[in-house]
Amino acid sequence: MDRSQLGYDQNFSGAADDFPSLLRRKGLLGPAAIGPMPQSATQQQMWQPTESTTILAFKFSGSVLVAGDRRATAGNTVVYDRADKVLEIDRHSIMAIAGVPATAWEMARVLEHSLQYFRRTQLQEMSVDGKVRALSKLLRDNFGFVIQGVGVVVPIFATYDGNSKPEARLYFYDAMGAQFEATDYAATGSGSPAVRGILYYENTWGAKPLHKLSEEEAVSLALRALDTAAESDTATAGVDRSGKIYPVIKIVSREGITTLPENKIAAVFNEMVA
Amino acid sequence: MIEEPYRWVEAIANRREYIEGQLAPGSPIAALGYREGILFVTLGQTRQKLFEIYDRIAMGAIGHPGDIERLRMGAIELASAEGFTRSAADVSLRRLVHYSLSPVMKTAFEQVYGPPYLTRMLFAEVGARPEEDLFLRVEYDGEIASNGATYARARQDFAVLSGTRQSVELMEAFLKSEHKPDAKFETVVNSALDAWSIGHMLLQASEAKELPARDAIAQHRQEQLAIAAIEAAVLERDSGRPIRYRSLADKELRSIISQ
Repeated sequence: MDRSQLGYDQNFSGAADDFPSLLRRKGLLGPAAIGPMPQSATQQQMWQPTESTTILAFKFSGSVLVAGDRRATAGNTVVYDRADKVLEIDRHSIMAIAGVPATAWEMARVLEHSLQYFRRTQLQEMSVDGKVRALSKLLRDNFGFVIQGVGVVVPIFATYDGNSKPEARLYFYDAMGAQFEATDYAATGSGSPAVRGILYYENTWGAKPLHKLSEEEAVSLALRALDTAAESDTATAGVDRSGKIYPVIKIVSREGITTLPENKIAAVFNEMVA
Repeated sequence: MIEEPYRWVEAIANRREYIEGQLAPGSPIAALGYREGILFVTLGQTRQKLFEIYDRIAMGAIGHPGDIERLRMGAIELASAEGFTRSAADVSLRRLVHYSLSPVMKTAFEQVYGPPYLTRMLFAEVGARPEEDLFLRVEYDGEIASNGATYARARQDFAVLSGTRQSVELMEAFLKSEHKPDAKFETVVNSALDAWSIGHMLLQASEAKELPARDAIAQHRQEQLAIAAIEAAVLERDSGRPIRYRSLADKELRSIISQ
């Protein structure tokens, strides 16, 4: 009896299988790394991957704000000025990306489907620890590309833990998949040194610590931080005043994810930043 | 045994009789399309019978839990892989059932040396408009009944599943006269519970050919609601999110049930 049409065997158990391994079983997920890269200088100059930069996140008033500028670059070239680096994974989780979008968007897609797949097959939500670990594993699987210098992804993961002790949780990663839980804020990407400086300063000596900020104050701080990053980092767009392109800002709270409408960001920008 | 065609036909007939007998006590499931989506309703005590398959697809099933589980898992796998490689819009219930589930179930049923799938399933896919809702009932032998307009039959905006044929027929007859596609949620919940009660009554009195009287339905419904939990789920037509499935708590529904 051939039951292979349904893609599982007699001993199949849904609990043993996560979504990436389903994709591998069906041959739908690429290998962990491509062949050895030519190391000659000419090759390196000929091709540079598109990269996106500077994302930040911090906790305020029981929620997490996640913001990212809109620029994607390849070497000195601006590839795109409306890239979205702040991606919704499920109703309460956001993955924000710095690094190569080709890899990062695929990773976000796998992660999003993994969480849905888990909920549908196991009939329960995945725990926050499980979600954090799932992203870590995807980064780890991608490490072959990182070594070859073509697929570095350094994400931030923000979520709301609705379980035993309801609170907003914020994690950042390194390219190899180590996860670090941030108590107050996180920033990655080429513009992140400036942003970290600002967030540290504001949190320690500012008018009030980050977790006491109101939504409007939080949005204006995020815009100021990204604009500062753009001042010294060409790969970060900050706020495009002439083109009226604003960063993407999303807020994760107990109720779920809110995407701030552009006109609201523009209003805060005009009043507090410009 | 198989070498002789007659024996094969006999074996299949025996098998059909056996499976029908196993499925006969299964608690009915009613799925009704309405303005804001599709509602699935059943009553039960223990096992979950309604499941999310994909963004716009849900399933209700009766039968052996092991078989339901294997087919459910297969359906989720297929839909998820398709939705991942292409897009959620490319996942179609019609293709899932006609090209994947049905052939597998038919093969298992007709291979008389292997086990058949002991289950009967009801799938629904919510459309942008009520006319686009698709309901498919899949039998243990791979047979498919749809709500689509075929010859000499109008398109229906509901579908039911039950242990016996009579039970299904009378539930359908009831909904055909009772249910309107543009009905409100409260109305649909009550029609679905009435349809469930009719189906359930018929499982006990399988000889009945006509719909039970109104007050008999109401009484049966009240008795059952007192001892069993309502299991319900909706596929929302336009929730502003890609995922339309939402299971409804028993408590949520008790308040809007008319006595």
